Amino acid sequence: MSVVTTTSKESSSEDPRRTSVVVTGWGIHVPNVDLADLVPETDYGPACPPDRAYELLGRKGLLYKEPATRLALCAVHRALGREPGARRPEGPPDAGTAVVVSSNFGNIATVHKVAGILREATVRDVSSLDAPNASSNVIASTIAIWYRFGGPNLMVCSGATSGLDALVLACTLVRANRAERVLVIGVEPDDEVATRLYQQNQARLGSGGALRAGAACVILERLTQVTAELPVLGRSYRMAGIDDITGLPRSALVFGPAAIAPAGARIIDLASRIGDLFGALGVLQLAVSVAMRELVPDPPSDGVLICGNRVEGWRSLEVTQSGLPMQTATPTMLNSSCRTS
Amino acid sequence: MAVLITGSAIRTCLGDGEGTFSALLQGNTGIRPLSYFEPAKLNVRFGYQIVEAAEEQWFKASRWLACCVREALSQAGLDPESKRVKAIVGTGLRELRAVERWGLENVKLPVELLHFASVFHEVSPKIEVITLSNACSAGGHALALAQDLVELGEADAVIAAGTDAMTESMLAMIGRFAESPTECIRPFDAQRTGTLLGEGAAALVVTQESSSARPLARVLATGLSCDAYHETAPDLDGIRRAMRDAISRANRDAAQVDLVLAHGTGTALNEPTEAQLIRETLCVNGPGPWITAVKGAVGHTSGASALVSLDVAVHCLNTGTVPPVVGLRDLLPEGHDLRFVRGEPIQADLHLAAINAFGFGGVNSVSLVEAVA
Repeated sequence: MSVVTTTSKESSSEDPRRTSVVVTGWGIHVPNVDLADLVPETDYGPACPPDRAYELLGRKGLLYKEPATRLALCAVHRALGREPGARRPEGPPDAGTAVVVSSNFGNIATVHKVAGILREATVRDVSSLDAPNASSNVIASTIAIWYRFGGPNLMVCSGATSGLDALVLACTLVRANRAERVLVIGVEPDDEVATRLYQQNQARLGSGGALRAGAACVILERLTQVTAELPVLGRSYRMAGIDDITGLPRSALVFGPAAIAPAGARIIDLASRIGDLFGALGVLQLAVSVAMRELVPDPPSDGVLICGNRVEGWRSLEVTQSGLPMQTATPTMLNSSCRTS
Repeated sequence: MAVLITGSAIRTCLGDGEGTFSALLQGNTGIRPLSYFEPAKLNVRFGYQIVEAAEEQWFKASRWLACCVREALSQAGLDPESKRVKAIVGTGLRELRAVERWGLENVKLPVELLHFASVFHEVSPKIEVITLSNACSAGGHALALAQDLVELGEADAVIAAGTDAMTESMLAMIGRFAESPTECIRPFDAQRTGTLLGEGAAALVVTQESSSARPLARVLATGLSCDAYHETAPDLDGIRRAMRDAISRANRDAAQVDLVLAHGTGTALNEPTEAQLIRETLCVNGPGPWITAVKGAVGHTSGASALVSLDVAVHCLNTGTVPPVVGLRDLLPEGHDLRFVRGEPIQADLHLAAINAFGFGGVNSVSLVEAVA
């Protein structure tokens, strides 16, 4: 991971609409997959499964934390470059750092379990330690408590595009001067309940592959000085149908379903390759696109991330390099069904 | 900067916006014996439910939200086909009640109905929708981002919304921690016994200052913070940061706030902490603002609660009348120096209202809303 130090305060005279939001760090924690050709090896080694999250996080405080919460914490731990088992930070919370999490299936298993217990028994048989997990924002608030982040704390649950939705909202938090730094995390579990719910919907959504558990984290900051070529988050579009995704620039590296690849373009279809990370996919796409730059000689300077399905629609997000304009605009994406963000 | 509210609609157990405000002025409450669930199993006997049918309906949070969205758009005179319209929906429990029933009833559950995009796409497929699951302050977070999107020029208008229907798993958590079942919410009462769930939805349309529609009120700012302290215990430092963020973004003096719609959940911990917040941050000169709270009448509507309170605040600003805190009999000792509205509504010249919402996980929002002259 490449964490670049930037100066903290931005002059308020600048038009916030033009504020560049850059990626200054990443962490990828997807157990049981091989991404060695895309992601440089780190000192952390392979991603541990959620039941061995203590290897990275230490043993304290993990009791009754759901798999999604554990995976998310692991991805954050990597993005922050913290030592395995490092003590959790103490002192007052960092009010300048916001947390935005995307997940749809995080607490589905707990909700299902509690309803199942109540069919046969009473609340006395429900563990009080499950209480926090009844609320869907438990992942985002746990990250804030664990690492002491006191800025705005958002939990995005908007389906297959929610990873990219989370990145777009994170940019809004920076531009609206609500945070100097935002950690964006995408995470989904693949427990039995989530998998069953996903499989029931898979054909209708048109999704390939199985639901895959994993987490990714990116650190976003306002670009205050160009110290290096940093990935900049660009325009984002919402589209109803996959046919609306046209005019992708040949020079760009596209992350998305292979079916949309224009002739000659390089496309990386992570969902087909490792399984569907659903609400985590958009954040993983960004993390991989940034990580690849450390591995691939002469990487393409432009990228386009695309997530969605045929029921929920699609979202794209452009990634460029600081100081460089997008080499080829994507004008044909500006049709009537597209909206800028 | 600020944005105008050009439409606002709510659904609670007391009805729509007019119905709810009128019931509050009369001191009425919508509490009723719990329907659809088994009180003995849950150790919860009462709730502020919206009961429309003998059988429990599916996707109630979506249906109430759909009613509010259509009403708010119509009031605002906004055509989503001709304007760039986005929507941010705040919810505590999404449609997790459907997940509970899916697990037990052997039915198919369309996964896209766990969030609320389809509610808006029935009105117009062009509306861009994001669902935030931000617990009991989700509606306040939705409003904060709605204002940001309008001010940053990323939309002509944004629908900030909130909605929640109760889940059995959340009822279980209330019952799990209650020594004996709570009979009603008593905000800021010395004898308060805890919170109960409500149900409801809210949608409001915010747009640029230059809009020609006749506005209901002006949203000056919403401050956000996260305690980063504890999942369920409130933290004075965290909520103070949200209040100060709101006042600083609004470019107003704390002393100008003349009405507070308190979070007021009727719990042991929230009430003294919130009373201290109001005392410290808003009672800087003179007697401090009038304070009221609605959860004793409409329950804890979770993701909708901030925007339900905001709709009530707008009614207060526009009528110069503040309803009493329904359920409050004996004021808690920590609140004796504060101006709670008790027993009867009061008449006052009101300009600036603060709406507090503090959620599970320590996620806080404070919105400041000003009367439009």
